[in-house]
Amino acid sequence: MSGLAPRSRRALGRELTRLAQASVAESLAHSAQRPEPSMETARIGFTGAPGAGKSTLISRLARLRLAACRDQGGVAILGIDPTSPLTGGSILGDRIRMDAIANEPELYIRSLASRSSNDGLADNVLDLLVTVESYGFREVLLETVGVGQAEHAIRHSVDTLVMVLQPNAGDAIQAMKSGVLELADIYVINKADLPGAKKSASEIRGIVQRSQAAWRAPVIEISQQHGEGLAKLDSAISEHLAWQAEHRNASETLRRRRHYHVQSLIVRRVAELLDHRPQLLDTTNLAESYAEILQLLASDAKRYSRQEETGW
Amino acid sequence: MSLKGKRILIAKPGLDGHDVGAKVIALALRDAGADVIYTGLRKSSAYIAKVAVDEDVDVVGLSMLSGSHMALVSDTIRCLEEYDASDIKIFVGGTIPEKDRAALIEAGVCGVFTADMPLEDVIRAIERELS
Repeated sequence: MSGLAPRSRRALGRELTRLAQASVAESLAHSAQRPEPSMETARIGFTGAPGAGKSTLISRLARLRLAACRDQGGVAILGIDPTSPLTGGSILGDRIRMDAIANEPELYIRSLASRSSNDGLADNVLDLLVTVESYGFREVLLETVGVGQAEHAIRHSVDTLVMVLQPNAGDAIQAMKSGVLELADIYVINKADLPGAKKSASEIRGIVQRSQAAWRAPVIEISQQHGEGLAKLDSAISEHLAWQAEHRNASETLRRRRHYHVQSLIVRRVAELLDHRPQLLDTTNLAESYAEILQLLASDAKRYSRQEETGW
Repeated sequence: MSLKGKRILIAKPGLDGHDVGAKVIALALRDAGADVIYTGLRKSSAYIAKVAVDEDVDVVGLSMLSGSHMALVSDTIRCLEEYDASDIKIFVGGTIPEKDRAALIEAGVCGVFTADMPLEDVIRAIERELS
């Protein structure tokens, strides 16, 4: 049988659940035990507004990526959907668009809830990626929630970032404002059979061409009707991965990932403290709350430096 | 009580093409705090078991209106066994005749929900089974 064995699928599924729900303390205990991340698996990120067609695009693209690496471990897809801030629940709907490929044995699809993250990714996402990679997949495709300032967080988490835009969504101006067009490696104008696609594509090209970056990001028009754009995207991703293998500074990339990782753990730890001790807010002024939180963080720090936390 | 942190797959096995009930349940479970995944229509038992395992759900809810619930349930249970995943709990909903209820429970189903059952009761039954 090709692909992951049934029992490995079960083990991977369980490991991911445990990690996705891990607190900051549990996540740190886990990271002390696992091996350093390798960079052998290619991580390809997809971001863009809700409804831009990310899930459907990933589904169609995954078939091509899989055909090229079926014997080298296959492909995993991690799709992140938003957690309701009111109930803590979620509808994880990405995979329903991935129906056409879901029977492939060398493919693993996992839906994740964003939980407390509001950067378009999910709690402990870097740990989740490393865990999936440890099962030997050749490539991991990561889909963001698609709302908020997702671009910066995912930029630091993946090797190749694809931004999915749709025609006439006012994307060009918005993109210029927020500077996200300096972040992605490949731009897709999706639903290119809709009117306005050509204009949107040329606007984005105009912006991308002003970039000083060494990699010239392609702008690719894709429609559901024609296969041509999809094949272009497939080869653009391969070209970018190859270009990057040659040009990037691997230790700098790992540093940037660590930067994001440490920062997101601390932000989440502060949120945990505030959730568990709402009295931290009942102070006379902001500075006092701030100082009390720092004190609690400092006592965390003592504990971790003595490495008392085990139990992962 | 709450279903916070619980992962639930709502699945439509077999050939019937109506999923209003499945979607109503999915939304109610989300509002109770669960992470809910829906398979879409007309899925095989093998497919449902694979998704349940890949997604590491605590519960599979099978929504069936076709009348072939006995065969589909035993098929799904057998497929889950192949993944060493018999601990995943199965609930059944839809048009299930009262006379089949006992046989479904006997086959390994944790609960049978019919359309006349209040959503709160459905959620409470799942919470109880998972606690």
